[in-house]
Amino acid sequence: MSSSRRRPAGPSRARGISLHMLAGTLALFVLIPLLFGLIGGFKDNAQLSSNPFGLPAPWHPENYTEVLASASFWRQVGNSVLIALSTTVLVVALSAMAAFAFARFAFRGREVLFTIFTAGLMFPFAVAILPLFVLMRTFGLLDNPLGVILVQAAFGLPMTIIILRGFFAGIPREVEEAAVIDGCTPFGVFWRVLLPMARPALATVSVLAIVASWNNFFLPLAVFNNPDWWTIPLGVQQFQGQYSTDIARTLAYVVLAMVPALAFYAVAERHLISGLTAGATKG
Amino acid sequence: MTHPALTERPEKRPRAAAPPARGLPPAAIRRRRRLKGLATVALFVLPALVLYGLLVLAPIAIAAYTSMFRWNGLGGWPEDFIGFDNFTRLFASDVFHGDLRNGLLIVVLSLVIQLPLALGLALLLNQRMRGRAVYRLLFFAPYVLSEVITGVLFSLILSPEIGLANQILRAVGLEELERAWLADPTTVMPALFAVMTWKYFGFYMILFLAGRQGIPRELGEAASIDGAGTWQQFRHVTLPLLGPTIRIAAFLSVIGTIQLFDLVWVLTGGGPDHASETMAVTMFQFGFKRTQIGYASAISVVMFVLSMIFALAYLRFVMRRDTQGAVTTMGDHR
Amino acid sequence: MSLRRRGVVVVAASVLLLGGCSSGSDGAGPAPSAGGKVTIDWWHIGTTEPNKTIYDGWVKAYQAKNPNVTIKVTALENDAFKSKMATVTTAASAPDIFSTWGGGVLKQQLDAEIVKDLGDPKAIADFTSAALAAYQIDGKTYGVPIDVGMVGFWYNKKLFEKAGVSEPPTTWAGFIDTVKKLKAAGVTPIALAGKEKWPGHYYWTYLAMRIGGLDALKQAATTHDFTGPDFVAAGQKLKELSDLDPYQKGFLNAAYSSPDGQAASVGSGKAAMELMGQWAPAVQKDAGGGIGEDLGFFPFPSVEGGKGTATEALGGGNGFAVSADAPAEAVDFLKFITQMDNQKQFVESGAGLPAVKGAEEAIKDANLKTVAGTLAGATGFQLYLDQAYPPAVGQEINDSVAGLIAGSKTPEQVASSITETAKAEG
Repeated sequence: MSSSRRRPAGPSRARGISLHMLAGTLALFVLIPLLFGLIGGFKDNAQLSSNPFGLPAPWHPENYTEVLASASFWRQVGNSVLIALSTTVLVVALSAMAAFAFARFAFRGREVLFTIFTAGLMFPFAVAILPLFVLMRTFGLLDNPLGVILVQAAFGLPMTIIILRGFFAGIPREVEEAAVIDGCTPFGVFWRVLLPMARPALATVSVLAIVASWNNFFLPLAVFNNPDWWTIPLGVQQFQGQYSTDIARTLAYVVLAMVPALAFYAVAERHLISGLTAGATKG
Repeated sequence: MTHPALTERPEKRPRAAAPPARGLPPAAIRRRRRLKGLATVALFVLPALVLYGLLVLAPIAIAAYTSMFRWNGLGGWPEDFIGFDNFTRLFASDVFHGDLRNGLLIVVLSLVIQLPLALGLALLLNQRMRGRAVYRLLFFAPYVLSEVITGVLFSLILSPEIGLANQILRAVGLEELERAWLADPTTVMPALFAVMTWKYFGFYMILFLAGRQGIPRELGEAASIDGAGTWQQFRHVTLPLLGPTIRIAAFLSVIGTIQLFDLVWVLTGGGPDHASETMAVTMFQFGFKRTQIGYASAISVVMFVLSMIFALAYLRFVMRRDTQGAVTTMGDHR
Repeated sequence: MSLRRRGVVVVAASVLLLGGCSSGSDGAGPAPSAGGKVTIDWWHIGTTEPNKTIYDGWVKAYQAKNPNVTIKVTALENDAFKSKMATVTTAASAPDIFSTWGGGVLKQQLDAEIVKDLGDPKAIADFTSAALAAYQIDGKTYGVPIDVGMVGFWYNKKLFEKAGVSEPPTTWAGFIDTVKKLKAAGVTPIALAGKEKWPGHYYWTYLAMRIGGLDALKQAATTHDFTGPDFVAAGQKLKELSDLDPYQKGFLNAAYSSPDGQAASVGSGKAAMELMGQWAPAVQKDAGGGIGEDLGFFPFPSVEGGKGTATEALGGGNGFAVSADAPAEAVDFLKFITQMDNQKQFVESGAGLPAVKGAEEAIKDANLKTVAGTLAGATGFQLYLDQAYPPAVGQEINDSVAGLIAGSKTPEQVASSITETAKAEG
């Protein structure tokens, strides 16, 4: 970004306009579906076919208010939050410990072990879904949020460990040598010195874990039969089936289901993007 | 008290920091130290390893096992061993051939359309222009939405009568282009790909932006002083330097395609008549709808083997230089 | 330091505990009935009117009478319900009450030990034996019917008139002729939900019944052999029909009950007919507005030279099964919804045909009276194949017939792929 400032002033005006035209067209491509959902949610079904482009006349806010007033919607939000947060705490805690060992200890088989973890990046999650279903059945973890949390955490380990190991390795050794001389155990070094310094990296991996958990569909679809545990994506799909004749209401539900993710994105955009780029390039 | 294992360069550690182990021969001290060090390492690594082994590695072994049985999933574990019959049936099945074709089509379209589009945009947004931050925020937003929400939204947008897509065509007088997008075997894959592009191009754009910003501006300036035009600069400076990023993007795109499920499941369920089906969708159909768990496990195994072969080959032949680079940087803190 | 370490362990453990809180009534074993609070999970497929309102009304009425019972309803769309039930069966944890159509699917649920033996069905209600048969396995009753009926053609009299067809066809040749006339008159002859596949399998099954006779299907169920000439011929007839391109635009991705689906196409007067069960008029009305007096019913025509007759019916009904570990109140609730006044209310609304003796008089709709009459005079009966056979076979029938209709499979391929699945999985 700083580099662009150093460019000789002003590309031609025409070029600037054409750039904007291009970017603007793509922006419309992204925006129109979202706006269609947002505005469509305020219409009724007749308006959706008779007046597809205009503003609603009259407005039907009840599509939104009825969803917001329904207990099942909030239950799903709650489930999604609970599962996302638990997954994140678990995966970040376990990964931080493992990454610390990988970055700071010399032990036999370290690189082999690390490679086994990184190989996990290439395992398609879908491969594991059936055996996981059978395993969860054996453990009695079907219809139990742990069945989703543990699996999500396990599949989140490779990426999180890779990012955190890189970060820990970048922290100057002198910092902890001082702590060691002060009499810290390895755990003390980890907990008191490295973890606090790694806060930005922890934020990044947490954001990644939250987004991945929030959007997960395949696993909860297999694990949760009891609607009490359904998360937002399951709820959206079920809602579409149940209200298949009421498109406007489905749109309202979809839009409301988007809000938490978009709001979170607005807040955590920086962490998300740095995490994704770090994960992709290091993985 | 100091821990001897707490270093990657034990030989360079000041010996004085080690606790005075009174009355023990040096070899015993070393052994005790190593054991203690190993215990510490185990304490840090084991929890992750157990979870990983149990829920990531073991399922793959289980799938390999159950793929050898005829099993409807009821009761405890399978009993009716049939060897490789599930695989023979799978390889002979038209649906599976269709899955492979569809996967290949998506990979090719991604490489030819989605990645270049994202690359172009990244270069565009790397220029000085007003609203650049807003554009970037906007283009990336769809990536944050879940596949299910995207799928439901677009299934409504693409539906034949009330869908927005056809209504736009009607409004601009292009009625003859109207299609039942998701119902027509000839249009369903392009429609699916368009939705995938909507959802994912922002992610690749962000990757390329990060890669582009890692290229020193001076290189481009030097080239332009040497008289290189914009295209030549792109062709001979930017593109080669973006090589590693592009190769990683292509890699992610292929691995993502092998396990494509959510979006297809919600948009079309794999239809019409399997025209948009992917391996993961077929596996789900057989595993969770027809309760043919043995057969579905065979699909899992094939997916796993395909991704492994691809990943290893890709690392070996395409990303060799990149990983060598990575290994040497890793070597820094070895 | 060790305190710190313990801190992490505690955090990790509390995460696990946080997730581990109780998961509702599922799998909790039989709950004590006397006076204690009881929650019943009820899964049904009544996502359209009038079922939606009636079911909700029953729940309210029952809860008012039994204040200690809470009934939690999950309404799933037909296709979603079937996949969810397959998962539930494999997971061996079913909701307390769930929709069933009996047959091989119920048998598999019994094998998975998730359904309860309901004992003497007479203790629940006086069901007609035809309605009850599908839910009885080896002389025991594992489900109760809420309605029973048959599949036939629901047609738009006005559109038939417009095409110059005065009488509904009684033979396959006449039917093909009707389709051609409708097409020539610019009318979409047939509405079909290609995405869901089960509506398509009615055509193939009826043709197999008409050509090979009921015995051919019974025999194939045990020999797992569907390659006989009669099954291939059934496919050929269906291909002959599909080659006329008789279905509505976009039928391959059309659902059954959605606003641009099969029922809506007929219900809004866009398509001339559909092959569907006794619930068709109700769903047409809910999804597409309905065509009122213009709607007529005729049985699936006979095929020239076939072994079956036009009086043999393909059909079934909607019913409910109770999970093995459901509380006693679940059975009591089934008793409640099948008692005479509730059954009459159900029948009066047009949601279905009565499964309980004595409720026939509540049939208001003339077409449903015809269906009830045809069913009463039926000389043979076949349960929907995708329910009669185990799921693997039933789904393969749905799927390969869908391929035939879409033009990607030949009649021979349909016969052989069903046979292959039946032999491998049966």
